[in-house]
Amino acid sequence: MAYSDKQRNNYQEILSGIVDSGLNKEEQQIISSQGSMIKVRKGSGKSIDSLINMCSNNYLGLASHPQITQAAHHALDSRGYGLASVRFICGTQDIHRQLEERLSSFLGTEDCILFSSCFDANAAVFETLLDESDIMISDRLVHASIIDGMRLSKAGHDTYKHKDMKHLRKKLELHGHCPRKVIITDGVFSMDGDIAPLEELASLAEEYDAMLFVDDSHATGFMGASGRGTHELCGVLGKVDLLTTTFGKALGGASGGCVAGRSELVELLRQRGRPYLFSNSLAPMMTMGTLAALDLVEQDQSLRQRLLQNMQWWRDSLVDAGFIVVPGNSPIVPIMLYQAKLAQAFAHRLYEEGILAVAFSFPVVPQNQARIRTQVSAAHDLEMLQEALAAFVRIGKELDALGKTKAELLAQKY
Amino acid sequence: MEEKLIEFIRDEFLEDAEQEIDVDTKLISSGYIDSFSLVSLQSYIEEEFGKKIPAPRITAQSFDTIRQMVEIIKQF
Repeated sequence: MAYSDKQRNNYQEILSGIVDSGLNKEEQQIISSQGSMIKVRKGSGKSIDSLINMCSNNYLGLASHPQITQAAHHALDSRGYGLASVRFICGTQDIHRQLEERLSSFLGTEDCILFSSCFDANAAVFETLLDESDIMISDRLVHASIIDGMRLSKAGHDTYKHKDMKHLRKKLELHGHCPRKVIITDGVFSMDGDIAPLEELASLAEEYDAMLFVDDSHATGFMGASGRGTHELCGVLGKVDLLTTTFGKALGGASGGCVAGRSELVELLRQRGRPYLFSNSLAPMMTMGTLAALDLVEQDQSLRQRLLQNMQWWRDSLVDAGFIVVPGNSPIVPIMLYQAKLAQAFAHRLYEEGILAVAFSFPVVPQNQARIRTQVSAAHDLEMLQEALAAFVRIGKELDALGKTKAELLAQKY
Repeated sequence: MEEKLIEFIRDEFLEDAEQEIDVDTKLISSGYIDSFSLVSLQSYIEEEFGKKIPAPRITAQSFDTIRQMVEIIKQF
């Protein structure tokens, strides 16, 4: 027998280890569509909880927007359900090319290529475009999908301390002999919600003749004056050689991703990118849904305005109430609690009070840097945020976590 | 040797430049040094001390503190 008892026991031990270390992830089943309020069926199936959702990437509230669902319906009727083919065989519809051109124009690049997800896009880039004499120099806190993508590449790899431009310069000097160098960063970092110093990065890229790669998944659709992303915000439109992003966050939240950038790089990905050549073409619903999302981003300014207002209010109110909040300018608002046990207890209590927010601890974030990461959306209204704030303050007092310094929070016994 | 390692690790890996580490600080198991960084550490040891430490000897159990590292390096 291939899966013997011994094998089974071995894996069960691994799973027990995960539970014992308090890292077990359990999924609750949401029975409503995604939004600022969601309905969850309680474990026993008997009652239904209504929760304020403070942990989705649904930044513009488009996950259930009527204009998007309408576009998806239209796609089903006019272009069918699925392509059942990879792009290059018989999987390219006119709408795919329409979306690629639209994205490229929106993001300020030369061309664009679609993938099933940004995870796939990141998996394709480094393996396809670089060889063993090249070097990838990444920020230490880049997303897991980028780390995996770099692993697939034969190019050398080095890292620089998070947003440390002096350290990056040192690395660029060290690897100066490499024919191709790529500086790799997130636009907005997912754990802290902080923004990469793209102006300085672009300047270093220029100085050292390196390419600049940015994964802007937590920024596309709402950062920058017209929502184009971190590069617009930092004034470096046109200076990013490779920009990857997802359609699974602000742009509707379904799935799909892309690489936008220099035309030769995009074309090479089309010719040789394995996740492109060997994975199914993006379904018509996703394609037209994303086009509709771009329409909304470009035409409805109120979405971004509401998001910005909510962000500001939420951040300022938490700080005023006495919480330690990682400073920043994005809808990702982490409330620092430092101790894993405290963060987990806090999140658990929040759930009981009708607020959904997630605690992050080691190894997702460094030791003693546990936090509750909240995410604000344009779909939140002031009343919801006030209710959420009240719950945070109540629980903060209950757990004696309000108005403390980092040292005090670390010293307390939980 | 310990001094040089402390300096290298502080400069290269520690996000917080003021952080104090000593020969007994757990570096890998507490997440200061991750698997990507181990390659960098291995290269440094080869360049600085002329010792090539085989990858199987560099684990979170055996290579966690500077004290442990020095012990292993001296064997080569």
